[in-house]
Amino acid sequence: MDDLHEPVQAVFRELFDDDEMVLSDEMTARDVRGWDSLMHINIIVAVEKRFGVRFANAEISDLKSEGKNVGNLFEARRNKLAGQ
Amino acid sequence: MKALLESFLSVPSNGREGAFRDLLAGLRAVVKVGGYEDAAPFLRGAALPTLDFTSTHSLFRIYRRVRAGLPEPYDPVRVAILGGSVTTTQLAQFIELHLFAAGIDAAVYESDFDVLRQEILDPASGLYGFGPGIVFLATSWRDLTHTPALDDSVSTVEELAAQELAHWAALWQTVHETTGCQVVQNNFDAPPARVLANREMRHPAALGSYVARVNQALCDNAPPYVTIHDLDHLSAGVGRWTWADARFHFLAKMPCAPECLVDYAHSVVSVMAAQLGRAKKCLVLGLDNTLWGGVIGDDGLGGIRLGLGNAEGEAFLAIQQYAKDLRGRGVILAVCSKNEESIAREPFERFSEMALRLDDIACFVANWNDKAANLRTIAQQLDIGLDSLVFVDDNPVERALVRSLAPEVAVPELPEDPAAWIPTLEQYRYFQVASIQAEDSQHADYYQANAARQQVEPETGSLDGFLRSLDMKARVEPIGPDTLERSTQLLDRSNQFNLTTRRHTSAQILAMIGDDAWVTRSVSLTDRFGDTGLISVLLAKVDGGVLDIDTWLMSCRVLKRGVEAFLMNQLYDLARERGVSAIRGTYIPTARNALVRDHYATLGFTQVDAPEDGTTRWELAVTNDWAALETFIEEESADG
Repeated sequence: MDDLHEPVQAVFRELFDDDEMVLSDEMTARDVRGWDSLMHINIIVAVEKRFGVRFANAEISDLKSEGKNVGNLFEARRNKLAGQ
Repeated sequence: MKALLESFLSVPSNGREGAFRDLLAGLRAVVKVGGYEDAAPFLRGAALPTLDFTSTHSLFRIYRRVRAGLPEPYDPVRVAILGGSVTTTQLAQFIELHLFAAGIDAAVYESDFDVLRQEILDPASGLYGFGPGIVFLATSWRDLTHTPALDDSVSTVEELAAQELAHWAALWQTVHETTGCQVVQNNFDAPPARVLANREMRHPAALGSYVARVNQALCDNAPPYVTIHDLDHLSAGVGRWTWADARFHFLAKMPCAPECLVDYAHSVVSVMAAQLGRAKKCLVLGLDNTLWGGVIGDDGLGGIRLGLGNAEGEAFLAIQQYAKDLRGRGVILAVCSKNEESIAREPFERFSEMALRLDDIACFVANWNDKAANLRTIAQQLDIGLDSLVFVDDNPVERALVRSLAPEVAVPELPEDPAAWIPTLEQYRYFQVASIQAEDSQHADYYQANAARQQVEPETGSLDGFLRSLDMKARVEPIGPDTLERSTQLLDRSNQFNLTTRRHTSAQILAMIGDDAWVTRSVSLTDRFGDTGLISVLLAKVDGGVLDIDTWLMSCRVLKRGVEAFLMNQLYDLARERGVSAIRGTYIPTARNALVRDHYATLGFTQVDAPEDGTTRWELAVTNDWAALETFIEEESADG
């Protein structure tokens, strides 16, 4: 958890129309209703736009298993922002 | 809500996130308490073609709730989206949103991934179960079926291109013959990577050159029921590398970069809207700081900036030239200005750098009334709907006022720099073209000639005298290949003098032409002021010994000229020839056609039925002692 957690969570809340959604590092796409492959694209586009970053395909895994979870997305975004 | 939408629309697109968030929150609050009808106009206003992917998706989710809350549309346009080897889900969602934004009640069907051919070729497919009125083939360059190898000869490449065309033409024909639908077919977006680098377009077998060849063949050979949607231009417009963001193809087989999907959907919908007669008809222009730099009333002829020699003057000249080019293809031009009329006219009469002249302007309104009221006057004088107007004015206060007081008028938000206005206007695709007719270029002239006729009228004293003085000649003929497109266009566009507002496609009319039970007629009219062209269409079917009028419509350019009486006489003769016992007519009321509520009563029909929904049915017995109606129109024989 860091100060980037809040804005990413805001993006998710908007996309899932759920004002109470709470993100955790361990969360995977399987844990969230409505997180299908299309929503996945929507998440990537929204996060890229919100933070002005661009992920490589390898960085944006399907977020469906352990090690490939929301923490993985945080990590990718953290690396991107650090590199700017 | 009105204030939220206005503040979203009036901020520049790079700084509107905050205003958009507020608008979303406002929309959600209204929808939450069941205010679906209240939310709808603001949802429409917010769905701009320039919005980003994520915001458009947010609007789509609100749209879905609004749609579910509103009553089912009575007779929706049935749009089927068949994807090639691309994912169409988001595209289909955005198309649905933009159809709604364009005021089109639609039902949308989306095929599964890459089953376009199965959908069309299998008579039991979901597509045919759905029964489409419009079928959109959402293909990309990856759907090419006959790509050449680099060492193929020119003749092989030509052969492959012919097979490529035949492949798609066969699909069009099958789906069209089965359902009578219109087809919208993408052309192929040229891939950005070029194996032959700068030589790509000169080598016949290179992919880039092949794509260009096939695209030209599609345009040259598409039948009237097929619209070629220029996907390649969208790609070039945003930049081919940006458009083709390969990440999203690898990840999810997206047809293009997600951010480009909004414009893509808007473009597809604009083509469908034009086919449905929803394109705008009239460009209304302000004057000071819109057509020239400066204020004519203060600065005088010597002080306004227009023309070659300085950048600002050139930008305004470019806007004038753009408007003049639009007029040249049939868009009506009008002026709406806060000025003394004589002063407002001065530059048109005396400033040599003006590209626009007074005779380009069909309706010139300059006074001190508010512009919303003046726009209503303009719509009335031109006899077109307020929703056919696009209002271009440099003053943000005037724009906001018109949006508020005449919300039917399209009012694009313009950047401060007039040099950026043309691209801004183009983004909205207001004047999208479904088909081009030779007559279109004269379209704006008709409205001006009409103004001239109006001026003759009072002086001639009696209406009969006036009509006689017009020397009208009419030609009535069955609809044929040379009149099919114009007739269809009239079916699409006519709202006021239209008894049933049935938007038959050219495909359906073709079927009627080939069916003996159907009678199709078009009327063309000339008078001493000029040729008004094809101005009326009648479709009727012999059914159980009765001639049943399916469609009777007329262009409002020729109202009160006796054309309907003239056509009635022709129709009666025809009914006798066909040996039917009666002619039956139907009036289906809409928001726009109160004008013809008493059409059949005036022609001597008797009302026989009036179901609850306001529809009325009329009959006229066919006898031998019927007296033809008086008209001042002479019949012209079909061969000239």
